[in-house]
Amino acid sequence: GSRLLKGYHGGHVVIRFALGGCANRPFFRIVAAHSRRARDGKYLEQLGCLDPLPNAHGEKVAGLNLERLRYWLGSGAQLSRPAEKLLGLAGFLPLHPMTVTGAERLRQRRRREGQAGTAPADGPGTAP
Amino acid sequence: GKAAEPKPAFTDEAVQTLLYKMTGIDLHKVFRPVKKELKPPRYKLMTEAQLQEATRKAIEEAKEKLVMPPVLDEREPIDDVLAEDKFLEGTETAKYIFTDLTYSTPHRERFIVVREPNGVLRKATWEERDRMIQIFFPKEGRRVIPPVLFKDEHLGNVFQQDRHEDLLNMCIAQFEPDSPDYIRVHHRTYDDIDKHAKYDLLRSTRHFGGMVWYLVNRKRTDGLLIDMINRDLLDDATSLITLYHMLHPECQSAKEAKEGKLQGVDLIKVFVKTESQREGYIQLALQAYEEAMATSTAS
Repeated sequence: GSRLLKGYHGGHVVIRFALGGCANRPFFRIVAAHSRRARDGKYLEQLGCLDPLPNAHGEKVAGLNLERLRYWLGSGAQLSRPAEKLLGLAGFLPLHPMTVTGAERLRQRRRREGQAGTAPADGPGTAP
Repeated sequence: GKAAEPKPAFTDEAVQTLLYKMTGIDLHKVFRPVKKELKPPRYKLMTEAQLQEATRKAIEEAKEKLVMPPVLDEREPIDDVLAEDKFLEGTETAKYIFTDLTYSTPHRERFIVVREPNGVLRKATWEERDRMIQIFFPKEGRRVIPPVLFKDEHLGNVFQQDRHEDLLNMCIAQFEPDSPDYIRVHHRTYDDIDKHAKYDLLRSTRHFGGMVWYLVNRKRTDGLLIDMINRDLLDDATSLITLYHMLHPECQSAKEAKEGKLQGVDLIKVFVKTESQREGYIQLALQAYEEAMATSTAS
């Protein structure tokens, strides 16, 4: 049978990133698909795109079809974590708590590295 | 004191009719052959009546082509912050720009927001907006990054080649009517035409009305007046002066014209005496015109 015509028992609709592009050149499509499908396989609808590499003006371009996104969310689709984070950054959803946590952790790690760099004579386990 | 009337706008009916009359319709120039795919010419055999009908239809189509592009004020820069999340500082290296791709929203109302690396979520500037809209909803004849031709240093080359009309057509395709680039290119073109008296380049195109509006607003109508008189376009000259009086009702010649209800050549003479800088030239041109009229009626 054809993989395109496959039907699944169970599973739900998710809005997630499908990876495309070429070697060393990723490109994500924001896609509504069944959760059991392959990552880059047949999807229900494309809701946008994200270019993770910055362009000549130093910006990462992302397009979101908000009207269709609201339709799928209203029909009970779930979001993957990177999709949630992206929508949080866009302002469509509130900021994801892991974004905040990630920022905190990064700041702490940088502070620790800074202290380790400036004071190598200190013993390990300097409290932040 | 007296209450000031609201200044006539570019879109008023009276103004538009005057500008349209001045533009003129030269069918040979409007339907000048445009570079297209090479096709062998097609010939049609017509009676006199059919020829008149075809000419009438051609004039209708020419009217469509001569619709004047809008003249708007420069747009206000967008400066709106939607959210400030300072704790995101340092997580990203580049800014994210999010565009709403809903097909049915008009481009003016589309949401385009930018998340800066310092965590600020702001609305995109007009340049960013135009770029993103061109990327996702491309329009024909428009580039994502405006061509280098529109920079000031390169406009001189275009003007030397007398390609003002092509430049203005490209400008209309590339920029929005209220963007500062559109207004700057148009003003430079009009200034160059005024400096070298190349008014005929734009006559019978859709840019003529805009040029006349620009010159009348800045009271630099002398060159245009001389050109019109030299080409024996007295009606155009009178409509130009009528437009001037509509826009500057407080000037001397406007009051005199209203009192005396002058028409035609007298209107021009009054205008020349009071408002123009280059009186001598205009008087000379008027004299030449009257002599030509006298000889033609005599013979």
